[in-house]
Amino acid sequence: MFKRIVVANDGSDGGFRALALACDIAKEHKAKLHMISVEELPNFPASIDEIVETKTEENHRFHDVLEKAHAVAKAKNVKLDAAVVAGHAVAAIVARVKELKADLLVVGFMGHSALYERIIGGTADRLVRLAPCPVLVVK
Amino acid sequence: MIDNLWLASALWIGLALASALISIRLALSVALIEIMVGALGGNLIGLPLTPWVNYLAGFGAILLTFLAGAEVDMDVVRRNIGASVGIGFVSFLFPYLGCMLAARYLLGWDWPQAQIAGISLSTTSVAVVYAVMVETGLNKTELGKIILAACFITDLGTVLALGIVFAHFSAWLLAFAAATAVAVWILPKFAPWFFARFGRRVSEPEIKLLLLVLFALGGFATAVGSEAVLPAYLVGMALAPAFQRDPELPHRMRVIAFSVLTPFYFLKAGSLVEATVLVSGAALIALFLAMKMATKFVGILPLTRYYRFENREGMYTTLLMSTGLTFGSISALYGLTNNIIDQRQYTILLTAVIGSAVVPTVIAQKWFLPKIAAEKQEV
Repeated sequence: MFKRIVVANDGSDGGFRALALACDIAKEHKAKLHMISVEELPNFPASIDEIVETKTEENHRFHDVLEKAHAVAKAKNVKLDAAVVAGHAVAAIVARVKELKADLLVVGFMGHSALYERIIGGTADRLVRLAPCPVLVVK
Repeated sequence: MIDNLWLASALWIGLALASALISIRLALSVALIEIMVGALGGNLIGLPLTPWVNYLAGFGAILLTFLAGAEVDMDVVRRNIGASVGIGFVSFLFPYLGCMLAARYLLGWDWPQAQIAGISLSTTSVAVVYAVMVETGLNKTELGKIILAACFITDLGTVLALGIVFAHFSAWLLAFAAATAVAVWILPKFAPWFFARFGRRVSEPEIKLLLLVLFALGGFATAVGSEAVLPAYLVGMALAPAFQRDPELPHRMRVIAFSVLTPFYFLKAGSLVEATVLVSGAALIALFLAMKMATKFVGILPLTRYYRFENREGMYTTLLMSTGLTFGSISALYGLTNNIIDQRQYTILLTAVIGSAVVPTVIAQKWFLPKIAAEKQEV
């Protein structure tokens, strides 16, 4: 039924639970599996340094996340296409889903930080509303 | 509490720490949070502005400006000299004139006050622009490089205006200009040699050399009624190529600046905001913000057409060039510190500056994002 699955992984426990389940679904449906992780940069910074240093730290953090994710996928015998993008989590994930024309988005329940998400709702809540395909929220 | 040096220090650093933690939690700029925390502290508990706080804040502003100058990529400016100088100069000149004339003739501010309004709102925030471009992947495109180079030119215009407009024209000013020119000419050759010969030691001779130059030229500048940030920005620009070849030294200076100096500057900038004026002066804040954005549009949008930007890219560029934060706040605080503007006018200008960091960015990202794929990387 599913041909192309996107899983969003922020490196949290919830993100990896989502990845594990996405691997199982991809294997069962013989679907292509894509993972997206989003580096959140500070909004309205006062210096370029803030951006460069945050991005460097995020790169290091997501390096480990990608290694762990590939290990999870390999253990489940699933091929994983993983990418890290900079930006706002919701906008970047929705854009990736549209770009790939994915027919399922899998996300973890936890993992958000930005102010607007606090006010408007969590990442998963907003993805359920904004994604153009079915969304599976993993608890 | 004010008389107890260490308790007062603990209060300021405590606020700086709280700002850092809030900024990490909310994914917002630490500078913006420090201004807000400073405003809360100033209005709720009356933060003590002692001479040593003013010294650290002033030192922070000098170092912040120096490091901003050191971020200028001269190769990018040279490669895109026509478009970047054209857009950058207009991006400074139009809001400077527009906001100054609005303050003078619509609000009846006197000329020096109107000058501060014009200078504070002429700025473009290189950092806000850069952040948005990294998120969109534009920083790796020719368009992104032109926009970034134009931002540097705009900031240069703002710093030059702040340094020259209020200077006393005398023989000493010529001597200051000559000293700055000599430093800018000699340092790109002398500093790399000095860094190689004496650098990378615990005593940090290279940082001491740079601080010596910044303090000496800053002292010279203030003696002639100019502003210490002017030579700091120019010296930073002169050393930018050397710093970009060896980024370790500016990194160490950033650690010093952002841990113990710039928090005092931004907290102080916020503490001088009058909460009541945010309500009573809301219309004026909106007027200045609208005037800044309108004049940026009148100046920059036609130029983007001239340089054959697509419609959407032109709007996006114009909106990004309408942002401002660091130099706007430095200019407004300069006006207040030198008794050119009063605290009410300062509050209005600083709030308009902060608004200009937020409003154009949100509009640009929401409705005018160019159709460029977000940066994708395999880490």
